[in-house]
Amino acid sequence: MNTPDPTSDDEFGSEPPGPDLEAAEYALGVQDAAQRRRSQTRIETDPAFAARVAAWEGRLAGLFDGIAPVAPPQHVWPGIRRRLGWPAVEGARGNLWQSVGFWRAAAAAAIVAATALAVLNTVREAPPAVTPAAVARAVTTLSFDDGTPAYLATLDTASGAILLVPVPSAPDAEGRVPELWLIPAGESPRSLGVVTTDKAHTIAVPAELRRAMTAGSTLAISLEPVGGAPQGVPTGPIVAKGNIAST
Amino acid sequence: MAETELRPTAERDTALDRLVVEVATGDRIAFDALYRGTSARLFGICLRVLSDRTEAEDVLQDAFVTIWHRAAQFDPERAGALAWLSTIARNKAIDRLRARPPMARAPLAVIEEMADPGTTPERDAESATNRSRLERCLEQLDDRRRSLIRTAFFDGATYDELAARIGAPLGSVKSWIRRGLMQLRACLET
Repeated sequence: MNTPDPTSDDEFGSEPPGPDLEAAEYALGVQDAAQRRRSQTRIETDPAFAARVAAWEGRLAGLFDGIAPVAPPQHVWPGIRRRLGWPAVEGARGNLWQSVGFWRAAAAAAIVAATALAVLNTVREAPPAVTPAAVARAVTTLSFDDGTPAYLATLDTASGAILLVPVPSAPDAEGRVPELWLIPAGESPRSLGVVTTDKAHTIAVPAELRRAMTAGSTLAISLEPVGGAPQGVPTGPIVAKGNIAST
Repeated sequence: MAETELRPTAERDTALDRLVVEVATGDRIAFDALYRGTSARLFGICLRVLSDRTEAEDVLQDAFVTIWHRAAQFDPERAGALAWLSTIARNKAIDRLRARPPMARAPLAVIEEMADPGTTPERDAESATNRSRLERCLEQLDDRRRSLIRTAFFDGATYDELAARIGAPLGSVKSWIRRGLMQLRACLET
C-alpha cells in the first residue's frame, strides 16, 4: 500500500467518512441501524453514491465463497409465491405454468429435437413415430408436491410413445435418479425406465401397457438407485406425479 | 467454521446471468429455475448472518420477492448474477439484524484465521482471478484488519459490536477497518 496516512488510528476513526468510505462501510455492513438507513436513502437518491456501493459490493463478493449453502425447507417457495400474489400451489388454469398451449409449444420444440435425434440415430430400429401431429394429444403435467411442474408428458397413443420433457432442476443430492412409472387406475406402478432431469426423453410404452395411456391413469416420478428400482417396484419417494387427462 | 470444500458462489455463471435477464421479462418459469438453482446459497448467507432459521427463512422469502421486482436492474456487465443475488440476500439479512433490539445478539468471537477455500481447476477462470485477487489483497492486510473485515462481512457486525467483542475503543476499530478497506481498494485497483 502506498497511501500512508500520518494521522493516528483514533483520529482516522473519528472523522466522518467520505462518500467512498461510507459506501464501503455500507457494503461491508458495519454501520448501525441509523447510519445504514441514511446510506440506503442516499443509494436511492444519489446515483454516483449507488455506483460506489455497487463497486464495493463487487469487491467484497468473493467472500461469499466462504459461506456453505444450506437447502431451505419446502414451505419457503410457496411462501414466496404467496407474497408475490401468486397462488401458493398452482391452480388448474389461468397462468403460464399450466397453460397447455405453452407446454404444447415447449413439447413441440422438444419433439422436433427428439425426432431429429431419432433420424440421426440410424442404429436404433424403428424409433417411435412421434410426429408433430402427436403434439395435439394430451399433455400431462407431472408436478412436485408444491404444485410446480417437474415434467411434461405428451402421450401419443397411436404409436405408444410418451415424450417426457423435464423442467430443468438440480440432480438429487443423494445421487438417486428419476424413474418414470405408469400407474393404471387401481393397479400397481409399472416402470417405464430411468429418465433425467435435464433432457427430453421419448419413451416407448410396452404393448401390454398401452391400454393404460388413458385418462384415469397416473404418471409418476420416483427417486431410485442408479440403474433404477431393482425389483421393478418403486423404492424411493414419489417426487412428482400427474394424472393423465383426456385430450 | 465450515468454510472449506465449497463450490464458488461468486463465479461468473453466464447461464445464471441469462436466467436473471429472463426473470426481468416476467418469466415465472425462469424465476422458478432461479430459485431452484440459487436458494441454498442464499439461504446459507441468511443463516450465517442471522443464526436463526425462522428469521432466515423469512428473509430468504423477502429476498426472492425483491429479486423478482428488481431483476430488471441486474446488469450482467457490472456483476455476476450470483454475486448480485447474494448481495441482495445479505443486505436483507443485515437489515433484519439491525431491526433486532440492540445487544440481542450473543457476542461471538472475531474470526481469527482466514479459511483457505483452496483452488480447483473447474472454477471459472474470471471468478478465480477475482477471488484470488481479493484473497491476495486480504493477505496483505495485517491480521487485525483482516479478521475484523471478515467478521463484519460474515456476521454483519457493527463497529460497536466489533469493539465490544475485542475490547478495543470504538475509534480504533473504525480506524482499523477503514484503513483496511482503503488498503484493499488500492490493492484491488493495481
